[in-house]
Parts: sequence; structure tokens; C-alpha cells
Amino acid sequence: MSGQGYAPPTRDLSTLNYEKPVTYSCGDCASKVQLKRGDPIRCLQCGHRVLYKERTTRMVQFEAR
Amino acid sequence: MPPKARKPMPAEATAAAGVQAEAKDTTKAQARKRAPVHKPKEVDQSAPMILDDYEENQQDPDKVPRKRGRRPDDGYEALLRPFYDGKHLTDPINTARDKWNLLPAFLKVKGLIKQHLDSFNYFIEVELKNIVRANKRVTSDADNKFWLEYTDIRVLRPNRLDEGDDLYGVSSVTPQECRLRDMTYAAPIVVDIVYRRGQQKIKRKDINIGRMPIMLRSANCVLHGKSESELAVLDECSIDPGGYFVVRGQEKVILVQEQASKNRVLIESFKGMLQASVTSYTHERKSKTYIVLKKGRLYLKHNIFSEDIPVVVVFKAMGVNSDHDILLLVGGDDDIYQDEFAVNFEEVMKEDIHSQYQALEYIGARVKLMRRPVGMAQKRNYQREAVEALSSVIFTHVPVHGLDFRPKALYIAFMVRRLLMAMHDPSLVDDRDYVGNKRLELAGQMLSLLFEDHFKKFNQDFKMRIDKVMKKPNRTSEFDAFEHLKLHGNHITAGMERAIATGNWSLKRFKMERAGVSHVLSRLSYVSALGMLTRISSQFEKTRKVSGPRALQPSQYGMLCLADTPEGEQCGLVKNLALMTHITTEDEEEPVHDAVLALGAVDICSADGKDLYLEGSYLIFLNGTPIALTHTPRDFLDEFRRFRRMGRVSEFVSAYINHHHRAVHIATDEGRICRPLIIVENGKSKVTARYLNSLRKGTMDFEDFLNRGLVEYVDVNEENDANIAIYEKDITLATTHLEIEPFAILGAVAGLIPYPHHNQSPRNTYQCAMGKQAIGAIAYNQLRRLDTLLYLLVYPQRPMVKSRTIELIQYDKLPAGQNATVAVMSYSGYDIEDALVLNKASCDRGFGRCQVFKKTSVPLRRFLNGSKEIINAGAREADRPGFKNIGGDGIVEAGVEVKKGDYLVLKQTPVNTSATGLSSRPAAGREEYRNTFQGYKLPVPSYIDKVMLTATETDVTMVKILTRQTRRPELGDKFSSRHGQKGVVGLIAEQADMPFDQKGICPDIIMNPHGFPSRMTVGKMIELLAGKAGVLRGEHQYGTCFGGSKVEDMGDELLSRGFSYEGKDSLTCGVSGETIPAYVFFGPIYYQKLKHMVQDKMHARSTGPIALLTRQPTEGRARDGGLRLGEMERDCLIAYGASQLLRERLMLSSDKHECDICATCGLIGYSGWCQTCQSSEGVRKMVMPYAAKLLVQELSSMNVKTALKLVEEFPVEEAEFE
Repeated sequence: MSGQGYAPPTRDLSTLNYEKPVTYSCGDCASKVQLKRGDPIRCLQCGHRVLYKERTTRMVQFEAR
Repeated sequence: MPPKARKPMPAEATAAAGVQAEAKDTTKAQARKRAPVHKPKEVDQSAPMILDDYEENQQDPDKVPRKRGRRPDDGYEALLRPFYDGKHLTDPINTARDKWNLLPAFLKVKGLIKQHLDSFNYFIEVELKNIVRANKRVTSDADNKFWLEYTDIRVLRPNRLDEGDDLYGVSSVTPQECRLRDMTYAAPIVVDIVYRRGQQKIKRKDINIGRMPIMLRSANCVLHGKSESELAVLDECSIDPGGYFVVRGQEKVILVQEQASKNRVLIESFKGMLQASVTSYTHERKSKTYIVLKKGRLYLKHNIFSEDIPVVVVFKAMGVNSDHDILLLVGGDDDIYQDEFAVNFEEVMKEDIHSQYQALEYIGARVKLMRRPVGMAQKRNYQREAVEALSSVIFTHVPVHGLDFRPKALYIAFMVRRLLMAMHDPSLVDDRDYVGNKRLELAGQMLSLLFEDHFKKFNQDFKMRIDKVMKKPNRTSEFDAFEHLKLHGNHITAGMERAIATGNWSLKRFKMERAGVSHVLSRLSYVSALGMLTRISSQFEKTRKVSGPRALQPSQYGMLCLADTPEGEQCGLVKNLALMTHITTEDEEEPVHDAVLALGAVDICSADGKDLYLEGSYLIFLNGTPIALTHTPRDFLDEFRRFRRMGRVSEFVSAYINHHHRAVHIATDEGRICRPLIIVENGKSKVTARYLNSLRKGTMDFEDFLNRGLVEYVDVNEENDANIAIYEKDITLATTHLEIEPFAILGAVAGLIPYPHHNQSPRNTYQCAMGKQAIGAIAYNQLRRLDTLLYLLVYPQRPMVKSRTIELIQYDKLPAGQNATVAVMSYSGYDIEDALVLNKASCDRGFGRCQVFKKTSVPLRRFLNGSKEIINAGAREADRPGFKNIGGDGIVEAGVEVKKGDYLVLKQTPVNTSATGLSSRPAAGREEYRNTFQGYKLPVPSYIDKVMLTATETDVTMVKILTRQTRRPELGDKFSSRHGQKGVVGLIAEQADMPFDQKGICPDIIMNPHGFPSRMTVGKMIELLAGKAGVLRGEHQYGTCFGGSKVEDMGDELLSRGFSYEGKDSLTCGVSGETIPAYVFFGPIYYQKLKHMVQDKMHARSTGPIALLTRQPTEGRARDGGLRLGEMERDCLIAYGASQLLRERLMLSSDKHECDICATCGLIGYSGWCQTCQSSEGVRKMVMPYAAKLLVQELSSMNVKTALKLVEEFPVEEAEFE
């Protein structure tokens, strides 16, 4: 078990850049879906229930070997 | 009996594709002026070319006009294309060469795993309805006026659980969605009912009673009949064979089971005693009856009888009264058998049994009471019990209509006769391992057993519920049974799903409990999945030491693969189907019965004992039961087979003659293995050039060959009657059949081996095991799958030397390996013991590079008190390590690199999850959570390939994270060629140091020549030769079993390109620059990378985690365990005398524990105090292994006292002081 004795953060969440909803793409119609907390996992366009997370916008460096 | 109605296909021009292909081909044919090496040098002009002839025949008046459209492209198309293999439509056809075209045609119709699909379809379409028909009526004990009847049952198209009520709506569910969402791919089962409500008769249709898991690609599956592009839209691979189920997101296969055939008499020698046994199997009952030979006398043995019954008594009880009749029935007028049997009358005389009445009394008295009647007082009616036992317990498969015991008596008579024959001639004892005496049980049969059980239970529950309501004297509303049927719960759904998911088949009816029926489909490589679908597991116990069941049976020829069996424990018990086999489904007996009588055979019941065994008279058995008598067996058989070729009985009905038993056996039962053969009549093959031409053009398919009586299915028993020529040139006047292709005796997996007929046989077996571990492409949808573990090769290649089988199973589209240039020579010392030297530059260019995908699933559980787990992005602490890659939703970002200790999902679990009502959960938002973060645990970093969010059928949110690693070959990775020659990488050498030939070609792999002499894999050498010639020529070569490119041609090709015909080259050493003073065997060999990689196995530890219970180091790599110093290692140290080393290793640095021992009582005390002696006087401190202390305490917990006796370590020698 990780984090035993760990206290939940008390910081104000708004200071983090984490409030904006995350975008997913539908596994069927590939349309963008924005989910907020508590939303059911479902594409708004086609009703498909498999969503994939979009690729990160952060820079990823690969080591070519 | 007309042939089975084929499904009408949408009409479409069949020739269109052929014409297109033809146009394309003309250029190709011109370009390829030089005849390929394997093509015949001379054009065979003897075969006439009549193209138009067949078109006329097509207009056969009694034939339904063909309405077959072109089937969706399933990849076999290419093989049937006219220009395939460099042949043009107008090229001459050589029947001897081109009859192999029938094989792709067969597979196009039947497919590689068609047996599974056929079986499942048969279950859905026929057996399901039979089961319901047999259990159709439900009545109530409480109200005898009530009844309910099932009138029909259907399985609809697959849908989702939440679409349940919309039965005929079009569901968009796909198998891939089921895999991703951990759902079961199932379709609703609906019934139509008629029942009584009050005074009315009510009909209702389409009542959902449960869900049936659907086999992929079966008739009910959404993938059925889809083309490659349509499949791609559904995220499905067109090459994937189907034949498995998707249950709870997992792909499950129900393996083919091998069993002794049912309802057949088998003479066996059991503990030195002869006995004839029959396993009778009907829908109601399954029982085994024996006729045993004890001290020269014959008895009937069955579980229901408390002792063995003399057969003569049985005959008398069945109404064969006179001894003379019995003697004739058993022995005919043969003196030897009569003498042998005569003894049996004695005992009956002693017992004083003469009449049927007495015989029945005798038998009835020996019937075991199954259920005691409620009122014990009433006397047993022996007669009735005997009749009951004889008619419906023994030999249940022989029907008794009314009280006509004649057929059953005859059946027993034949058993007895065969026993007498075996007594006389021991060679007539049957061979249990003969493939003809076995039946294969497929998914459909297994499911039908399961469904029947659940359906009966369902009806029982339903009836109980009705009874409960009916018992109530006054009801508020009129009773409607439909309301209760609707509330069925999900007994059938859950039962079927559970059985397939766990593999535990438990049937109450037969008291059957079978584990391991279904397995997870291995997706290691395409071949492993395919191999699993053709696998047959044996039901015989493995512990038996006898080699009989494991040995290769001559009767396996053409039916079961010769090479493909595992090594070790399961060797010979697990088999694989050969390429061109079919497993029969059940055919109706009735039409066959009629056909037999129509052919002039006499019904058996009209014959007496004398007629039966008259010289030259043969009995006709239908599925093991005698039905008729003929005096012209040969003609009868010929006629019967003609009937079959005409299509008047099903093509899967087999008939064969047994001269020992003087019997003609006809079989229509399910589970027989059979294979198609070309019919030969009057020394001529019926498949001629013009038919093959039509096949090429696409105007005929395999079914047409069957319907026209050119090809027929022959099962193992009928094979004995056939005289099969392997090649057309071998046909004589006695020949009855011609083999379609000899290489079809191998299975799909063994078919990958080039030139297997040149290898030592165990090598082929080894390759069959290893081919399944090779990393390669898995399916067209491989990157869309989320498997727990998935290995993919980065640059898979088609083998240079392929085989027909490779094309047929489309291995060349999903290959698992690469063509490596191999130099067979010694290099450095790192190539001993089969180790390989790899070229570093080759690895840089991508040789052997593979990707490893691993899945982590995080379901958000829900608890009984209504609280649920959450993903809390707010729990992220940006400044702490491990949180770096977490996105705004609390889940790791897709595409980033994760290292050990990084978090993937910030999951939190409620603190209070108990379901007790008292401390009900706090209001929403006030819930307390603890962190149960999902982390990345592997020591080697990975990239996040995909992050998927979904909700399962039960609406559980699920996060699946796919991680990806790209691995290049490293020291210790395992590679293998296709000849059972595996080796690990011993050295990765710089290209500069590698030898090269005169053209500057440098090997990818250097293999030590010592691998050859003892392994005798000549096929590998020929592969190298053919591969080299093919590379130089620029085309693939064939290494098909019993055929393939010839060594001589390959040598010629090499010579013409300026190479040595032996395939040896002069190399220059890369290290010294000198010419290597020997010629080196040098050329391409197809190498497979096997899944065993060093990275997944390497492990070392110093101190680390310990097990909680024993305080010893944990075990295994996954738990970062210690390396065990085992018993044998311990023995070595003891022998050497290094006792202090042992003490240190096994105790001090392991589970050292200091405890207090009381020297007085020998028990363990505590902090200087002995609780037993209530004193601290004798208590001493002592060091011992914690495990030892644990043992003492565990023993004492079981009331075993373990006292420790203490002595002084340095005793004071008292004698000296005296």
C-alpha cells in the first residue's frame, strides 16, 4: 500500500492548472468529448462508451537506440 | 433425401473478378518468360482442355440454378485466382500438379476452424430446439389444469445488456467493444409459449429467457459473412479465424475434447478378463453396460444390478425362451461358438429358471433400489422392476417400443457373439486408441449439455414459483404464468457465462464435473491462436503409465497432425487437427434407415438366429445398432455410397464393411473426424482438368465437387475400405480414392516448417511448440487491442522459403520472424551450446526489434454501502516525484514516459466500506477517502501508449492503461529457426568484426556448425539453399512438405548466379582481414524471436522484502525474492564441512530470531519467564531460525508438544576435578 499516513492535500485546487476539463476522443466516431467530474463515460455524438485520452501536449523526448 | 439446403447468396457475377485478374495477368505472364524452377519444364498436352463443356452441364435440369454470389474476400481468393503461382488461365492444367487447388477451395468453404463454427451453428439451429422440444411442457402440482408449453426457441443477434428489451432492434455491438469493455458477447435467447390462464389459452412470442454467448464468426455473429473492409470498420481482423467466445472481455476457446465413442460395442481386455462394454448415451440417461467373461461364463454387468446377471437369464427375461433360440442367436450354426456358449446354460439350470416370468423375478430381485418408496411396507414388484431396468436402464440407446425386447435381445446377442469371437481369436479384441473408436466433442456439444441442464433448472424454478402461488387458496388477480416467466432472474445467462469464463462444466444431470474445458485464447502470435483452435485434448487420465493413448496411431494419418504435440506430461494426449479435416455434426438416422431398406436389405427383426449368421450374410448396423440384413454386402455398400455421392443421404454419413464381424457399419453420429478425398473410378481420377479449370475460373467451388460426386468425405473407419493413391501416377484398377494433397497430413502449425520431410521427426515437434512462442504480428487490429500482454515484432517479414500451408493459413500476412542472413561457422567462443552471434548493425537496423505492450486495468469498485472509489485529480502533489505525468483528470497522460514509482491513476477508496446500516455513509462530499494510487512497478521505464476510459455492462467505470516498451535484441534473448533449433544470443558483434563475402554481404547471425550433426535438421540446410537461390532470383521458394523447390534446381540457380551450388561462400574475416581458410555455408534462414527475453527474467537481490509469516526472504522475481539456497546446495556445503557458512546463510542472514527457551520444560517462554513452569529459573536466550520457532508453535496449535532440550555449549568436564 502506497501512501500510508498520507494526508490529503489541503491546498486550494484552483491554484493548480487542473480545473479545465480534459478532452477525450471517442473510440467509435473520433469526436472530441469533454468530461467533467461525475459525467458518465459516453460520447456525446454517437453514444459510444469507449473513450481514449488524447495524446499529451507536453514534450516527450525519445531515446533512439 | 435432397442435399442440405444451402443458404441462398445474393446473385452476382461470379466471373467478374476472374476476368479482371486475367487482364492483369497477361502483362505479368509476359514479364515472366522464364519458367519458374518449380514449374514443369514440359507442357503436359495430354490433359484435354474443354472449357465450354462445363458451361453446358451447368444447365442441368434437376439442378437449382446457382445463386451463389462471390463470397466476401476472405483471403483465399488470391489462392484461387487464375494467375496464382505464375499460372495463367490459359496455361495448361496438369491434374497431377494442380489438384492441390482443391485445398484452398476446401478451406474457403470450410475454413481452418470450421468444425467449431459448424458445431456451434448446429447447436443454435438444431440442438437448442431439440432440447426445448424434449422439455417443453411445464405443469403445476398445485393445479392440474395449468400447463405451459414452449413452442419455439431462437437465439437472436448479439446486443448489449442495456438494449435488452428491444429484441429485434439493430444493435451496434461488436466483439471488439466487448473485449474493450469487459463485456460478454452474447445474444438474447427467446421462446414462444402457449399456456393456460384461467379458462383461456394464451399465446405469447419472443419472451427473453436469458443470454447465450455467441461464437465469433458463427451464423449469429455480426462478423458472419462480412468482407475484409467491412470487418475493418468493426475493428476486426479479417484473418482472425473466429471460433471463440468473448466472455467478460476475455477470449475463451472451448477446446475440442477427445472421447471414446458412445453407443458402440468395444471388446476390451480388462485385468486379463475379456469384456464387451457399451456407453449408452441418450438425452435422458448415460450409462455403461458390460458383458463380462468370468470363468468361461458370460454375465451382464451394470451398476443397477447388485450382482452380475447370467446372459441366458437376460435373454429369457427378454422373451427369448428356448435355449435353442438363444444358442442360434448367439452362435448361429457355428459349432465352435455353440460349444463355447453352451456352458452358460448350466448355471441357469441350477437356478431353475425356465420361463420369462422366472427370469424377470431373478433379475428384479437383483435390482438395486434407487429411491425407497415412501411406504416401506409395500412389497417390491420384482417383475416390474426387472422390466423397467431392462427396458430403460441397460442399453438405453436401443429403443424398446411397447414391450418388444427383440431389438435389444439381438443387440445383446451380437455383443455376446463378438465376445465369443474374441475368446476364440484374441486378435479380435478392439483397440481403444484407434481413432475410429473415438469421437471429438466440440463447443456446440459442450454448450448443449450445459444449456439443457440450465434449462431444466430454469423450468424447475419456474414450476416451483407457480406452485407457490397456486397453493394460495384465493388470489386477488387471475394468475398469469407469464409474469413469473419474465421474472426468471438470470439463471441461464449467469450459468452459461460462468461455465465458459471459468471452464468448470458441472452438470447435475450426469453428475459431471469437468474443469479446464475452456481456456483463454493465447494471442502470443497468430499461430498460437490458430494452434489453440485446432487443439484436441484427451479425456484419458494422464497418470496412466501405459503408452497406448500417447502413441502415434497409424489411423491418425491425414486426420491428426503427426508432429504437433507438446513435450512432457501432455505428450501424445494433446493433439492437433490436420489441415484438411472436418468433424461431423449429427445427421438424422431416419433417411439413412429408409435408404438401407430401399437398397434391398431385410429388416433384422424378421430374421431368426440361423439367418443372421448364414454364410455370406452380413448385418447392417446403424450407429452401432443392428437394423438389417443383407446377403450382398459388397453391392449394398457400393450402392449406398452411390446414394451418398448422389446426395440422397448426407455426405458425412460413413459406411464401411467389417469382415471379421461380418457387418456393414453405417455411422451418422457426431464427432467423427473425416477428410475429403478425390474419388477414383475404373482407374481414373474423377477430378479432371476441366473441373480444375472451372475451379480456377470460379464457376465451381468445393461444394460443387462434392455434389457432383468428384470428391467425398471419408472417415477413419471408411478409410479402411478405401485404397488411396497418393499421387495420380500410382493409380491402379484397385484404387478407389486419390489423395488431394499429401502435405495436408500435417496441421496448420507444423505446416510452417519448410522441408519437414527432411528433418528428424522430434525437431518438427519442437518447432511446433516454438512456433507458438514466436513474436510477430498477431492480427490486423493488434494496435487497437488492449491485451494484458502483447508482443509485436517491429519489422516482421514473410519467410523467403514458404510453404503451401503458410499461404493457406495466411501466415505470410501475419508473419512472426525475419529472414536473417546466416553464416554457419564458428566465431569467438560465445557461440557454444547453440548460442548465436548477432550483428550489431543488424540490430541497429531493426533486426529482432520488438514491442511489448502491457495493460493495467483500474476498475472503480462500488461497495455495498453505496460508496465508490473515485479518481481524484486533486490528490496530485506537483512537487512530489511520481506525480509528474498525471493529467488534469488524475490519470497519467498518454504518450509520456513512466518510470518505476510513477503513478498512473490517482484512485481513492472510501475509508468506510462496510455495509452495516448503523454507521451509514456520510453525506455526499463529506466522504473520507484513503489513497489507493495505482503505480507503475516495473524497473524498466515504459511509454504510455493508450489510456482508455469506459464503463462496463454493470456500469463500473474502468480505466485501462496500455504501456509500451520497444526492445532491441540483447544478450540472452532467445531466437529460433523453424527447425526446432533454438539458441540464445551469446554475443552482439560489431559489424566491422563480422566476416563478409565477396560481394560484401555480412551475416546477421552466425550460427555454430555443431548445431547440425546431432540434430540432423537437413531441412534447415535446404531452407538456406532455397532461400539463397530465391533471394538471388528475386522470388519466394517453396519448402512444402513432400514437395517444394528441389535442391538440384536450387543448386543450378546458384551456379547460374556465380555462387557455389553447395551454398558455400568464401568469406573474409572482419577482424584480421584475411580470407577464412574454409568455405562457409552462407545464406538466409527465417528466424523467429521467441518471447523469452532476458529483460523479463533477469533478477538479483541482496537484502529485500521478507514474507510476513515465516520472516524468510520472499520467493520469485515478481516479489523481488531471494535466490534460494536449496536442499542440494545445502548438501554440498554439508559435505564440504562448511557448517558455519550454512549457519550464516540459512539463519543469521535469513530469519534469525532470538527467543527464550525454558530448559526445564523445553517450551518457549517470553521475556525471561516460562509460563508453563511459572518460573524464570531455567529460561535461556537462544538464537534459532524464525521458521523453526513457527513450526514449534504450529505443532502446539495442533496439540503436538515439541520440547527443546538444552545442553551446555561448553560443558564443564566434571571428571577432571575428581
